[in-house]
Amino acid sequence: MFRQHFDLPLGEDGSDRFVPWIIAVMVYLATLSVAAGMAVNRSVDKWNIGLEGTITVEIVASNAPVEDAGKRMDRALSILRKTEGVRSATPISRDEISKLLEPWLGQGDVPLTLPIPQLIDVRLEAGTKLDFDALGTLLENAVPGARLDDHQYWTERLTGFGRSVQITSAFIVMLVALAGAGTVVFATRAGLEIHREVIELMHLVGSRDSYIAGQFQAHAMSLSLRGGVVGLGLGAATLGVLSGITASIKGSFLPTVTITAEAWAVLAALPLLAGLIATMTARVTVARALQEMP
Amino acid sequence: MGYSADEEVLRGINFHLKPGSFQFLTGPSGTGKTSLLRLMYLAHRASGGVVRIFNQDIARTRRAALPGLRQRIGVVFQDFRLLDHLSARDNVALTLRIGRVREDAIGERVTELLDWVGLRDHLDAKPPTLSDGEKQRVAIARAVIGRPNLLVADEPTGSVDEYQGVRIMRLFKELNRIGTTVVIATHDRRLISQFNYPVMELGHGTFGITGNK
Repeated sequence: MFRQHFDLPLGEDGSDRFVPWIIAVMVYLATLSVAAGMAVNRSVDKWNIGLEGTITVEIVASNAPVEDAGKRMDRALSILRKTEGVRSATPISRDEISKLLEPWLGQGDVPLTLPIPQLIDVRLEAGTKLDFDALGTLLENAVPGARLDDHQYWTERLTGFGRSVQITSAFIVMLVALAGAGTVVFATRAGLEIHREVIELMHLVGSRDSYIAGQFQAHAMSLSLRGGVVGLGLGAATLGVLSGITASIKGSFLPTVTITAEAWAVLAALPLLAGLIATMTARVTVARALQEMP
Repeated sequence: MGYSADEEVLRGINFHLKPGSFQFLTGPSGTGKTSLLRLMYLAHRASGGVVRIFNQDIARTRRAALPGLRQRIGVVFQDFRLLDHLSARDNVALTLRIGRVREDAIGERVTELLDWVGLRDHLDAKPPTLSDGEKQRVAIARAVIGRPNLLVADEPTGSVDEYQGVRIMRLFKELNRIGTTVVIATHDRRLISQFNYPVMELGHGTFGITGNK
């Protein structure tokens, strides 16, 4: 498929030695950058999906008697369960709250005297568009100390964080692509200079610019693909190690580095993309240089 | 024609080559023979005057159209200009590959022609391992393999023995017989005298055509 007869001795000008390694480093960096971007996005999506369709009602602790706390909880549950679009409203037990507080208070029972808020986990019907402000006001008026948290604060920040990571990742890939293209321009110009006499002769015997450019393109494509595959291999190995490390940190908020089939497809395209950029760069560089010949 | 604004190499030259004609070009060194040949094989565009090749005014021809014209011109360079990294076979095949001839049609033609010029045993030899005479024959094979409409040869028999020289001239005559216009630049008066072809004589500032026009 890629059989190409080379009239120009492009493999003998030193570019074979350095271009594939530079491209390998570029593709390696791009692989890590893209994988990091995808991992963070996946985590953000998971967090968003986890928060989507749920709200939390918090009833802050007060000095009122315990019975009063029970009444406030009942009143809040009653309001919530009567609200259209609410699928369920479930109090979160003290045990569950204790578990949530473990990272700060350590394992074991939370002292009964500690004023911790009561929480209600509210699940909404799919597609429900609740007026959270109105519901929040209703709860605040009916139940002293009640506060509704629709997680908007967190979802907005998580989405913003995800987008920032995406933009950073894209920026790094763009820089890597520019650096790769620069390498190909340099190697191609050097090749044009080294093989000037051969190119002149080919011109004199009727070679079109596209024929000569085609040889540079094929050479650049071959070098880039070789480097790209090495870079992708090194990147995959690094991701494998990182995946093992993140998986060993249980319960962590770190994004897990798991390469899905979809992610692999994207990463596998990086060497091809490097090859494409190299090919186009070589074509433009050679075409410009040959324009100066008679 | 000149290579710079204040240096004129050729001046006052006016001639027309009939299609299918055969002529020699001769003259002392430094009179511009090579420059005239370079104009003919389109290595240069004239800085003044009109050069028409295949009925096209070269000064007005688009750059993109030049390769098509060059493919109709076979050139034998005095210094051979073979590609050292390619075998004799690939050097000769270069013209055909550039002309997009199918790969399976190239092999036989190249082998046949190299056989004809006595290089059957050197098909895979690279130029640095060949003698000057062998290099010259490879260069000639490369120039004629595409059956050009115009053949321009600069001292094509300068590096070969008499026997090979006669064979090469026979090859040129054969090409000429099937319609190729041939221009041979040479200092060799003995070679010129063996044929009854017109001779373009370049002197220092003079130009004339003698012999059978």
